[in-house]
Amino acid sequence: MILTETNSHDGPRDWPALLAGNARAGRQNPRQLRWPEKAIWQFRAGSAVRSAPVLDAGLLYVTAVNGVLHAIDTASGTETWKFEAGGQIHSTPSLYGNMVLFGCDNGSVYALDCNSRKKLWEAKSSAEVWSSPVIRNGTVFFGSADGKIYAVDAETGSPKWSQEPGGRIYSTIFAGIHQLYVGSGDGKVYSLDAASGKILWGTQTGNGIDSSPAVADNVVLIGSEDFFVYALDADSGEVRWKHETGLGISSSPAITEDFAAIGSKDGFLYAFELQTGKLRWKTLVGEVVTAPPVIADEAVCIQSSGTVALNQSNGKVLWQAALAGAIQSVPVLAGDSIYLASLSGEIYALR
Amino acid sequence: MDRRTFVKIGCIGSASLLVEGLDPMMRADAVPPALPAIELHGLPGYRPSPLGIPGLFPGRVVEVRDPNAIVRNRISQPIVRRLLNQTMAELTGQKSPKDAWAMFIDPKDVVGIKINPSGAPACCSSPEVVREIISSLQAVGVPRQNIFVYDRYAYEIDVGSYQALLPVGVRIVGIQDAFSNVGTGYEPTVYCDAAFFGEWETRSFMASIVANDVTKIINVPTMKDHSASGVTGALKNLAYGTFNNVGRTHRAPHSFTNPLVGLMCTVEPLRSKAVLHIMDGMRQVWHGGPLTQVQDFIEQPGLLLVSTDPVAMDTVELEAIEQTRREHGAPSVWQHDPASITSDNNLFFHDASRNLFFRQPGHIAAAGKLGLGVSDLKLIDRRIL
Repeated sequence: MILTETNSHDGPRDWPALLAGNARAGRQNPRQLRWPEKAIWQFRAGSAVRSAPVLDAGLLYVTAVNGVLHAIDTASGTETWKFEAGGQIHSTPSLYGNMVLFGCDNGSVYALDCNSRKKLWEAKSSAEVWSSPVIRNGTVFFGSADGKIYAVDAETGSPKWSQEPGGRIYSTIFAGIHQLYVGSGDGKVYSLDAASGKILWGTQTGNGIDSSPAVADNVVLIGSEDFFVYALDADSGEVRWKHETGLGISSSPAITEDFAAIGSKDGFLYAFELQTGKLRWKTLVGEVVTAPPVIADEAVCIQSSGTVALNQSNGKVLWQAALAGAIQSVPVLAGDSIYLASLSGEIYALR
Repeated sequence: MDRRTFVKIGCIGSASLLVEGLDPMMRADAVPPALPAIELHGLPGYRPSPLGIPGLFPGRVVEVRDPNAIVRNRISQPIVRRLLNQTMAELTGQKSPKDAWAMFIDPKDVVGIKINPSGAPACCSSPEVVREIISSLQAVGVPRQNIFVYDRYAYEIDVGSYQALLPVGVRIVGIQDAFSNVGTGYEPTVYCDAAFFGEWETRSFMASIVANDVTKIINVPTMKDHSASGVTGALKNLAYGTFNNVGRTHRAPHSFTNPLVGLMCTVEPLRSKAVLHIMDGMRQVWHGGPLTQVQDFIEQPGLLLVSTDPVAMDTVELEAIEQTRREHGAPSVWQHDPASITSDNNLFFHDASRNLFFRQPGHIAAAGKLGLGVSDLKLIDRRIL
């Protein structure tokens, strides 16, 4: 049985990691997603944004392709501080304690102190890190395009172990308490022992994987470039069900106890019953969908060429906004506000 | 010695200025603007290679088709491997794939694989084809870290997921982040200079990776109709994927892809480094190219073509796309009917009789006249396996 934990620093308005937190539910707390009436502010990052924002204590953290991490005051939309890394950034940041962590194209994962705004440590790999660092039990896990998965100490960045399953790693690791799950460019979904890095199982799909897994109720859900969504048994890797979409899948699933949603490059957002794989609905939300969805109380929200919110029960479009086109960005739903980052480098606060 | 070529084709005429700002439907009736003077500046001191365009086998195009190479839009890696080995053997006369590739590639080469990700995911250079090219380069002795897979736009590469699907160690480069002000990645001394429509930036610079980093280029175009150039194949993939600021050469309904596509391919070191062209015809877009995602206009013929002559290759491609358009009752890409022109992208993407520009497939023959290859279908040594 997979156990997940919540970052103890999660506050009621916080969104500390990709798809909201380590549980990767893609939601904060059950809440009504209101139709936003207006943009409160707009911030220009000065560069494309390929990652998703995260939120903590009134600061929105956004990484931009030109190598800058921006900390933006959510009340005013102004930049409180920024950090320039040693390369381009495609990685969604993660928050842990007083730290913000992100991967960089120079092969490093950076850990910054949000208070002093200085670098605490830098952990090296030998190729770009597009995946988001995941923190569990005082360990930071991340995958690299060098084909390795790394575990480093969260306080110091010192290496604990590394494992080379095969293929480039662009998938963000899902970290249970004892097991890790990740997709690989070699087409396999891997489970590793979180303490040692030992590979516990690997399940082959029909093409490479850049989707990031989510786990709930002992089911690992992930997409593959072979056009299929896979639901795997978290203990054995056995395929419980799979569903064919019209094109490859770079999007990542957002899940609740009994519901899962994932996009496909065929332009549709698909919703399933998690345990059975029964398709609840599919809705065309863009020309090509590569970003993950997020789930609010009654709605599913996703960015493609714009931003679309759909009724969770039937997939009908509730509202859409022709802004914030994205490859991998994800709306942050917090309180009465929605924060969006766009590929073109604009950050919006809607309310 | 600075290789500097000055191509004086014409001068900017008043017609080009007059058409600006008019409704596209009215512009459709306007007289095409006169060709401006085009200056080409190659890399100073670069010595042309005998492997350069049109390469070791001018006029020869090898073509193979296997309907099982792509089934339900999925491409078979083993079949692609077989097709590539067959075509390379036929092109070169070498029995072993390694010997065939060794005619073009030295183990010390730094090789750029010029993909075409525009139009991903519906139709782009298939990762399966690119993987086989990488394997072939490795078999010759090129280490993975000396292989660059590149194109202009990083976000298009992202959408194609090449970064995840290609082997560890191979470097994947988006020359220019279209939305970034940093790291433009272009060589300031190598450029084409022309003012087509009175634009303020008249230069298009060559990608630094082409000018300075790689020693050989394997060109992997796709088979697509193109709303401005007629088709996009080997020539356009090289030219408009190597130089920046090329969108300025289209202003509806006119386009200067003819002659600019060919002219750009003559600029050194691009011409010398592009030693082999492998056209991915697994999918074929016959309308809506290069960016369409509308599956109604995308066939899956399972084709692969190889050549050292991009003009001959594109001539074969043009004929294939014309044939498909005829089969579907669509007008020829040569048609220049003002009534077909629309400024409505949605209409264009869903109606094969409409277009955004007067297409310019003549850019292929124009490239032939520049010495880049054979454009007469009757003179092409077309070998269908």
